[in-house]
Amino acid sequence: MHPILGRPARLVAYLGVWVPLGMLLSALLYLQGVFAWGEATLVALPLALAYGFLCLSAWYVSGGSAAYRGGAWRNAATAVIASFVSSAVWLLVARGWLAIVGGVRGWPAATPSFRQAAPTLFGFGFFLYLLAIAGSYLAAAFAISQEAEKRALELEVLAREAELRALRAQLDPHFLFNSLQSISALTTLDAGAARRMCLLLADFLRDTLALGSRARIAVSQELALARRFLEIEQVRFGSRLQMAIDAEPGTETEEVPPLVLQPLVENAVTHGIAHVLEGGTVSIRVARQMTSLVFTVDNPCDADRPAGRGTGLGLRNVRERLESEYGADARLRTEEANGQFIARMNIPLTV
Amino acid sequence: MTQEPLRIVVVDDEPLARSVVREYASADPSLEVVADCANGFEAVKAVSELKPDLVLLDVQMPKLDGFEVLELLGREQAVVFITAYDQYALRAFEVHAVDYLLKPFSAERFQEAMDRARERLRARVGTPLNVDEIVRDAKPKTGPAERVLIRDGANVHVLPVDKIDYVEAQDDYVAFKTEGKQFLKDQTLSAVEATLDPARFVRIHRSYILNIDRIAKVELYAKDSRIAILRDGARLPVSRAGYARLSQLL
Repeated sequence: MHPILGRPARLVAYLGVWVPLGMLLSALLYLQGVFAWGEATLVALPLALAYGFLCLSAWYVSGGSAAYRGGAWRNAATAVIASFVSSAVWLLVARGWLAIVGGVRGWPAATPSFRQAAPTLFGFGFFLYLLAIAGSYLAAAFAISQEAEKRALELEVLAREAELRALRAQLDPHFLFNSLQSISALTTLDAGAARRMCLLLADFLRDTLALGSRARIAVSQELALARRFLEIEQVRFGSRLQMAIDAEPGTETEEVPPLVLQPLVENAVTHGIAHVLEGGTVSIRVARQMTSLVFTVDNPCDADRPAGRGTGLGLRNVRERLESEYGADARLRTEEANGQFIARMNIPLTV
Repeated sequence: MTQEPLRIVVVDDEPLARSVVREYASADPSLEVVADCANGFEAVKAVSELKPDLVLLDVQMPKLDGFEVLELLGREQAVVFITAYDQYALRAFEVHAVDYLLKPFSAERFQEAMDRARERLRARVGTPLNVDEIVRDAKPKTGPAERVLIRDGANVHVLPVDKIDYVEAQDDYVAFKTEGKQFLKDQTLSAVEATLDPARFVRIHRSYILNIDRIAKVELYAKDSRIAILRDGARLPVSRAGYARLSQLL
């Protein structure tokens, strides 16, 4: 696409540049002594503007977006020939224009004046057309580098996406070892409970792997996974861990990126409940708010735990994923007050 | 042959983990679990009152982790750590030859650890533990301490560092002064100095570390010696070197 022709604002600015060029041309003609100042302006300005339009063709001569395809010599030769031709065409236009203006104003010597002015006009036209071609090459180079930059950015986003996907699929080794410990303890205490725990763990692992590879999953699936995770952790923490899950009607069929809630729930247990002597309830709520879904996870935490500990890697990963999927439209905010930790995540509803 | 049973205190915040230890120990008449504790506070209390031979200590626990409990208990009894997964802790255990059990562990592995503990106790080697070094090595570096733990018999005080007015060396102890009260801890003043934030606490004297937020003014007392007057009116001596450190901070 032509960088100037298609955009009116740019076209106006471009033609604006031709006004001083036209003044320059009239100054040249005046200094040469061919015309008086008023006459020179009358001749040169419209001609310059007309030539401005003609020079727009330089973009196609330079090869447009495909510039740099040919060899250097070939390109140079093309530029010289094109400049010669366009300057000659312009000269014809100038002759016609001079005849018209001269006729209307009743100048006695329009034709000899043209002969005198012709070398100046030709040189001016030739030089400016070369300049226009050079400008076209610059514009093409700029467009190419912008394109490359955009592609690099896209690649970076893709790489980041892959990295986050890999992180998401990673299972917390603490969680696995602790679950195995619980099963090992239960085998003699309560064989039935040990089997239930194995099944819960198997389901959880299967779902994590299956859902993690999808682009979007239903809120209900995300909640089911969270419930299973909390059931497993309940075996370990006993009465110290309670859960409350609540979804506003209609929100469960909405779609979200997979495992985006899971890190918040894991965080609530490993950095929250696990540090509170008497434990407490992890509550998860999903609600609709204007054009987004709001997930709220809140849990008790150790109010006087040393600062700087405990805001885990998990939350940072969620933030990065939201950022790469939704930009500024999604966000995750956390707050901590009076021994209660609250994470709020807004995800735009898909229309 | 009658042998005194090995008296054990189990400390783990997970009920299932404690019951495994109870189960393994019940199979061996020479082992006796005298208490099981769900957190570090209960552990300090139980150890103070029951004086066990051995403490089985979980690393990850609420409020006080295993290393903090170890720091509070000192080295009067043998300790075997229990952990599911903790790279830092494992490295420290290897370096300092501390015995540990990895969850889940087998009855055989448990028995091995008990035998080893018994041997150590019989040989009166006690625990070859350098508690300070283990605690230092076992945790990722997280900057200066945010709180100080003090054992007061069977009780544990958790003292946030910004509540500390100053620390005073007293014979074999250090005294943490806070809101008109004082808490004694079996530690050297230099060790305390090393854990506190050097931007907030200054060693103003051989025997004093001062929280700089508490200073009202510093007065010349005699040639080369000054006195710091605190907001609450307390007066502490400031040595020449101490004054140099202090003026560098203020």
